[in-house]
Amino acid sequence: MATNKQEYLQTVLETHRMSHVEDLVNKFKSKRDEVKDALTSHYGSQIYSPFDSGSFKKHTAINTKFDLDVVVPVKRDSFDTLDKMFDSFYDFLSDEFGENATVRKQTVSIGIIFEEDSDGDVISLDIVPGRELSQDQYSNDKKLNLFVSSDYGIFSSSTYIQTNIQAQIDHIKAKDNERKIIRLLKIWNNNDGKEFKSFLLELITIKAFDTEDISGNLWEKLQQVMTYIKDNVTNDSFKLIDPGNSNNDLMDTLTSWGRTNLSSRMGTMLDRIESNSDNIKGYFPTNSDFEEEDKSSSSGYGVKTGAAAFSTPPDNQRFG
Amino acid sequence: MGFLQDVTKLISDIPFVEKAYDFEEEELLIKGKVKLSIEELPHPLEFDVEVFKCYPLKNYDSESIKFKSLDLIEYKHVMGDGSICVHTAHHTNLKSKLNYDFISLKNWILKYYVGKEKDDHYEHIIVDEKLVHNQYWSYQFTDIEQSFEKGEFGEVTISPLLPIGTFRGARISNHIIQSFIRNNGEKLDCKWSQLYKQFNITNSGCYVFIESPPANHGKFIYTKWSDLQDHLPLQFLTFLLEFQKKFIKDRGKIFPLFIGYNTDDSNIHWQVALLELGNFPVMGYRMPSGKWEMILKHDMEIDWGLTRNSSFDYFFGRGSFSKHITEKKILIIGVGAVGSMVAKTLTRCGCKFIDIADSDIKEPENICRSEYQFNFGLGDKTEELRIILGTISPFVETNVVDKDYFQGIIKLFHKEKGSKLNFEKSLNDYDLVFDCTTDNDLMYALDSLDLKCALINLSITNFANELVCAFYPNIYNFVMNQFNNVLDNDTTDLYNPTGCWSPTFKASYNDIALLVHKALSRINSLYDSGARKNNFVIEGSGSDLKVIEF
Repeated sequence: MATNKQEYLQTVLETHRMSHVEDLVNKFKSKRDEVKDALTSHYGSQIYSPFDSGSFKKHTAINTKFDLDVVVPVKRDSFDTLDKMFDSFYDFLSDEFGENATVRKQTVSIGIIFEEDSDGDVISLDIVPGRELSQDQYSNDKKLNLFVSSDYGIFSSSTYIQTNIQAQIDHIKAKDNERKIIRLLKIWNNNDGKEFKSFLLELITIKAFDTEDISGNLWEKLQQVMTYIKDNVTNDSFKLIDPGNSNNDLMDTLTSWGRTNLSSRMGTMLDRIESNSDNIKGYFPTNSDFEEEDKSSSSGYGVKTGAAAFSTPPDNQRFG
Repeated sequence: MGFLQDVTKLISDIPFVEKAYDFEEEELLIKGKVKLSIEELPHPLEFDVEVFKCYPLKNYDSESIKFKSLDLIEYKHVMGDGSICVHTAHHTNLKSKLNYDFISLKNWILKYYVGKEKDDHYEHIIVDEKLVHNQYWSYQFTDIEQSFEKGEFGEVTISPLLPIGTFRGARISNHIIQSFIRNNGEKLDCKWSQLYKQFNITNSGCYVFIESPPANHGKFIYTKWSDLQDHLPLQFLTFLLEFQKKFIKDRGKIFPLFIGYNTDDSNIHWQVALLELGNFPVMGYRMPSGKWEMILKHDMEIDWGLTRNSSFDYFFGRGSFSKHITEKKILIIGVGAVGSMVAKTLTRCGCKFIDIADSDIKEPENICRSEYQFNFGLGDKTEELRIILGTISPFVETNVVDKDYFQGIIKLFHKEKGSKLNFEKSLNDYDLVFDCTTDNDLMYALDSLDLKCALINLSITNFANELVCAFYPNIYNFVMNQFNNVLDNDTTDLYNPTGCWSPTFKASYNDIALLVHKALSRINSLYDSGARKNNFVIEGSGSDLKVIEF
């Protein structure tokens, strides 16, 4: 039976809602606040108030893979250099939480992965220290310089990048349609090898909505965005400007092969879904932990009737 | 006209044939002479010509026309009897075939006689492999890590392969060289797999490395021991006699002597001469000074045996998978129909490390559509397959993984943090893991692990209508969706050999092998090109197989 793509995608989003993992989210928030408090207490007047960012803040988080991001704006005079700032945060967080967590340097952040708790949950936070460009300038325009660790990213040696995380957050504010498509593309990306940065998928979706007349039901909107990506990312002139820094083009993070690959993945998916609507389920899985019972029956999106038969093998039986 | 007249007339008509004469008919062939006049030649060349009566068809694999000239024996591609080695195109028309063959001869003259060209590739020397003690004796060698120096010699250890077989209708005794032992005791092991290294050493021989081929004109192997006099160091001859003395109780037994030489900058060949204990071709005599001298027996002919280079590059030289597959450490979980075909194909395509895991038993009814054999009887699939793979390639290392590991232990403990890490570590010891189990629960458990190794899942539908291939990390969701929703997998018509508890799919060896080979061909191509490994489904049958990429 053909899949109703619109209804199916609604189910995909529904099963990936953060509200399904409210208890876990609360644990994340509690840990986040604990870390924020520790930072505020330790750095005092050297920093401005830490604030939340990332997919939680942007309402693009999905419940299969998430962490919480905290940005810590640092005053210009607090550190001579960005690497000293980065090292100071790393050292402090290691001292403070290293006993019960793995603390590691990442591209622009310090990751804290707390040990599994009694429920088996693992809390992970990303702390992003950023220094204002000049003394007291942050209050006016929210611009920050982030240290970029040499071990990561496209940079061959340690450097810095200017950004405005608040502007990035504002960029997606009140864009509910875009958020749904971003969540769907993140679900696909997580299922398909995690080749693409979430931020890139976010910006490209917003750009598609800004450039094209994206309309219709959820499937139709997703289809149009995917078509937009397929048709545009291989153009050399196609740019994805970071709203936090107009000099930062996210397309630069993709190689020529990466652009072709992204376009080709979109094209293949559209073709396969077009040839058989059931293929949509192979690309955009539901989170089976939160599927309603009746959706697993023959009338829903799960296994076929034959799967529940006894004495004969189910019709999803594989052979080899 | 008869065959003799036809051939003589047609040869005479060839433009660069100045003269065709003295042609006469014998029982199986006609023979005569030709004089060729070619512009680039300072003077005409003469050849004896033999044309077998099956001409223009071939005689076995050989051309049924021969051009001979013993005067040209020093040139490339001339055999010991003076015949020129020509390979020409097939034709059933006498005139056309004669034209082809004479043009080939002309081309040989221009390239090798006039141009004196030398080939880039190695031309093996021509060996008259002899029957000794009414049988043939063969020895295969493979690469070793070390190199040899001119004049060095020592012992060789040898293991027999399967019991006596036949070769060109006569008995043959087959062996492999296990190691070369230098005079200082250093042991140079041949790089066979462990299976072969563990073979009993039942024979000894000796070796001497002489650097250049033991051949006249670089291609005709010496026929008498005296030909080797200048190549064999005196100490080696002494060593040889001491060896004979040591084993004289085995008088009459065949004793192989391996003569080594370079074939190019990096390869060597060992040609075996078969000696008889008690009748070695070496004589010692006392000089007037009282000192002993060693010489080779002048008139004694050399009995050359069969040696074959079975080094990895020769063994798989005719075709193998990409090095991006063959060098990988591979694990195959599930060795039923699909898994055993995957294992055997990877082995024949040059893979060196293939571990296997399966808890299943091989029953007689498994044989018709898998790679198992009747002669093994009932037994663990893994153990039989390990032996089968080893019988195919002397370079594949195969270990059997604990049968409970995948179908039991991982499923029980994959969610426990410590165990999960251990499973990940043990799988990440491999580069490439094939899951051919068709076990959905295992597929789910493996998909939930954080793997660095490549994981490929293969399974088929009933009647082998489709094969589904999925690459980690998008395996479980993709495969389940294909079988749940996309593919039309009719499970109402299954084969129930022993009741409803053991139904199995219907498909022949050929049905399954078509899909498996197509899938492996695609996987090899993906690894060779480094392209993105997208999941795919192969559907259709026979020549109409279609790959659908996802």
